[in-house]
Amino acid sequence: MDRVAELLEELKTIARNPKESVEIALRDTGKKGVGCFPIYAPEELIYAAGAIPFGMWGGPIKGNLSDRYLQTFCCSVMKANTEQALLKQYDILSAVLMTTFCDTLKCVMENWKVASPQLNIIPIVYPQNRKTPSGIQFFQEELTRVKKELEEKLNCRISESDIQRSIDFYDEYREKMNQYMEVVRGYPDTIDAVTRHLIIKASYFMDKKNYIQKMDELISELRKRQIETTGREKRIILSGLMAEPEELLRIFDENGFHVIGDDLAQESRQFREEGPSEGTWQSRMAKRIAQQDGCAFLYDAEKTRGHLLIQMKERYQADAIVLIQMKFCDPEEFDYPILKKELGEANTPLLYLEIEQQMDSPEQIRTRIQSFAEMLA
Amino acid sequence: MELKRTSKELLNELLEKHYAGAFLAKERGEPVAWCTSISPQELLTTAGIYALYPENHAAAVGARKKSEELIQYAEGKGYSSDICSYARVNLAYMEVLESEAGNIPKPDLIFCCNNICNTVIKWYENIAKELDIPMIMFDMPFNHEYEVNKQNTKYIKGQLLEAIGDLEKITKKKFDHDRFAEVMEISTETSLWWKKASLQARKKPSPLNGFDLFNYMATIVCARGTVEGRDLFKLWHDELEERGRQGLGPWKDGEEKYRIMWDGIACWPYLGDTYKVLKKQGVNMVTSTYPDSWYIVYENNDLEGMAKAYSSNYVNRNLDFGVDNITQIVEDFSLDGIIYHSNRSCKFMDFRQFEVQRRVSERTGIPSVIFDGDQTDPRSFSLAQYETRVQALVEMMEKRKQEGRD
Amino acid sequence: MYLGIDIGSSSSKAVLLDVQGQIKGSAVVNVGTGSTGPKKVLDSVIQQAGIHIHDIRKTVVTGYGRMTYQDADKQITEISCHAKGVVYLVKNARTIIDVGGQDAKVIRLDQTGSVENFVMNDKCAAGTGRFLEVMARVLDCQVNELSHLAEKGHEGVSISSTCTVFAESEMISQLATGKPIEDIALGAHRSIAQRIVGLANRIGVSEEVVMTGGVALNESVVNAIEKEIGLPVVRVENPQVVGALGAALFARDLEK
Repeated sequence: MDRVAELLEELKTIARNPKESVEIALRDTGKKGVGCFPIYAPEELIYAAGAIPFGMWGGPIKGNLSDRYLQTFCCSVMKANTEQALLKQYDILSAVLMTTFCDTLKCVMENWKVASPQLNIIPIVYPQNRKTPSGIQFFQEELTRVKKELEEKLNCRISESDIQRSIDFYDEYREKMNQYMEVVRGYPDTIDAVTRHLIIKASYFMDKKNYIQKMDELISELRKRQIETTGREKRIILSGLMAEPEELLRIFDENGFHVIGDDLAQESRQFREEGPSEGTWQSRMAKRIAQQDGCAFLYDAEKTRGHLLIQMKERYQADAIVLIQMKFCDPEEFDYPILKKELGEANTPLLYLEIEQQMDSPEQIRTRIQSFAEMLA
Repeated sequence: MELKRTSKELLNELLEKHYAGAFLAKERGEPVAWCTSISPQELLTTAGIYALYPENHAAAVGARKKSEELIQYAEGKGYSSDICSYARVNLAYMEVLESEAGNIPKPDLIFCCNNICNTVIKWYENIAKELDIPMIMFDMPFNHEYEVNKQNTKYIKGQLLEAIGDLEKITKKKFDHDRFAEVMEISTETSLWWKKASLQARKKPSPLNGFDLFNYMATIVCARGTVEGRDLFKLWHDELEERGRQGLGPWKDGEEKYRIMWDGIACWPYLGDTYKVLKKQGVNMVTSTYPDSWYIVYENNDLEGMAKAYSSNYVNRNLDFGVDNITQIVEDFSLDGIIYHSNRSCKFMDFRQFEVQRRVSERTGIPSVIFDGDQTDPRSFSLAQYETRVQALVEMMEKRKQEGRD
Repeated sequence: MYLGIDIGSSSSKAVLLDVQGQIKGSAVVNVGTGSTGPKKVLDSVIQQAGIHIHDIRKTVVTGYGRMTYQDADKQITEISCHAKGVVYLVKNARTIIDVGGQDAKVIRLDQTGSVENFVMNDKCAAGTGRFLEVMARVLDCQVNELSHLAEKGHEGVSISSTCTVFAESEMISQLATGKPIEDIALGAHRSIAQRIVGLANRIGVSEEVVMTGGVALNESVVNAIEKEIGLPVVRVENPQVVGALGAALFARDLEK
């Protein structure tokens, strides 16, 4: 196996085995672990505390323990998280950061305080008015409060310089991730849709220093190779909360699609916005999220997401946009009709795919994706 | 001498004037705002901007059984049947601008407050974008601690001040702080009378037929900052107090046998049906989780107090507070049972219901049932299911009475 | 000869086409993927056409079970196949409403007859043949008697629930209160039409509107759909085999 294949295999294995990967990361580094709910979390703070932030974006699990708290029309990501929590699968974490980006998240937070009190829940409220002076002030105070809670729950002291260094590291990490996303575009066979997703997903279950080392090596090895010109003529951009499970992405690969870019909350939206390099640690973090737009979970009266997608389409010469609609995800459901209209006006073919994280009938998805491929041909 | 009107008559008059006034304002070239139901209307009333409430309109459309066509229109545009049916009705209405149930004019401004849910942010974002109008949004952070803390009230106060600045730009007039003080006082008084009226239901039997809370709700939403609104609720309070003094129950025909709380909003398209099923069995809904949400009371000119009051509604509070709140209500109103409306449109209320039901049941011992319904989508309700659930509740309450456990 | 075979979850269809594009055999068998259905339907059309299996030059398979069928030259989705089949029969078709046993789809075509957009419902029983089965059970008749029953109705009783389970209980309640069975049938037909049209409105409906799939055999559903959309619906002979016809046409194209 050549080095690229080795690295890809390593990262894919990590992405496919979250629980084991988290255990290994904790064991190898001796650090504590802090779980982070979607959509955005102050990972920099957790990292500065000498702990590892891990992502909690659901899973393939289906069960009925979560039915004790949540009706059936709750999004599958939150149901899966709740199921896993009740099965005590998160107990290796020292704390869990829970967010309030949507109404479901708020309710899940309240339920978990009762259902899984052992998880040391730390609520964090991101302001919806994140750009105004009062919003920036609020978020800075919120970050200060969360820092104190982390210190308490992790039994440590986090210094201002620790946090500044951590933010610098995260700025570097984001810059690198954006570079990688540019580079992998040239290798659509080696980095097919499934692989592209899994190498990003792996970062959620690793110490990021370790992750960046692997990614650095991967990119320099890839760059030694010829750019791949392939039969993958249908270039698409995936947009939505997340594009999982990997069976879904395999169907795109099987039908000659090339994922040329993404606007996914679980992927590029985490790192596409780079923050200011100067200022207090609170202001640097608050300003970065204040700058971010084009996300269904961040208030945006101008609804710039459509414009962003059209720009991306032009920049990367994409043939179509695929909106991955997580079933029961209200914020994304509201964006769809507006996007449909804007993309229609821009003559951009659009496939609207409704998915659940626990995909039990790939055939239905396969028909839609294949039909879309036939339509574009 | 003026003819003495009943509060019911005054209520209908007020609502008619409210809707007619909106069109008159438009004709005069004055700006009209679409607002969420618990937003800081004091600012708009002071700035002279006419406030309309899409939730009121959608509820009326639903109650007059005209919501289905608008909902289908919205779904045809790509809106999922998963999202709030008020939003589906209103987003369709925004384009169609016509309903047999009654009309409201197009807005020039959006005035959105997320103390009731985050869904309104997405809903109103879409209107602002489609109609290309400015949007003022008040973010009231979810209160995960028991109390509404200072960090939150400071943020909200900051937003109130920022909004005042925005309104000055929009109206091109200085914000009249004297008028503001006046409106704040009236608003607080109106809230007090609303609360006092609802408290009359603590008497046994209750002089208040709780479904009237649903009827009067429209005016606590839209007339809170007005003298007419204040007078309406005072009148209603006085009527109820008098009925209570005479020992009168909720209905002319029929005795109040059981007292329950209704958790959630009404099933507007089935208001009559849901009411009749309860009344037939002598079940009076004496209160709900809603009245307190408009108990918005603060010291005059105390912006931070106002901020706190607006952030304090039931659904914006943590579970511990919510459970304590309902447990207190059970005691104060001498409840025999609770009916929980699992409203398909309202995940913010629904996804806490199971845990709330368990804890309230444990603390108070009173029986409860959950039924599936929807606030304005007539296709998400089964009368047969509702009847069965109510019957089950009655049987449980009956048993308790017989065993002397009530 | 060119074979088009459409393997659904509960039925298998096949069409044999000659070089001139004449249909020489067509059949429907009510068992689907993973059963003897595909073989049975193949045997049936071969017999009808009076040919031998070796006379089949090219085969295209479509439908839910297309991925596991071994003997096809190509597999194409039922979206493309329905479009192909409908345009062959109705030149100016722009909207195809296909309602089968467990799913419903609506396809929009452009002026060249190519697929422009499509929408599918394959998760929810409402608006599919499954709803008719539930209706037949409640009204105690056969599925193929439902249309006739509804025709005799005067004033359709409103069955408003989106959910089939709730709708079932609504129908039962109406029966219990003594409403005429014909009126309930009429109301239930309106209900299924509303679900179907609700799906169609997501991509827009324009003439010519063509209906395909097993549910198209129910005249009362088709009439109710016409009322809902305010446009005439073109009926085709053998609406169930349109997908297989499209597949056979694609098979013929493979030779060109």
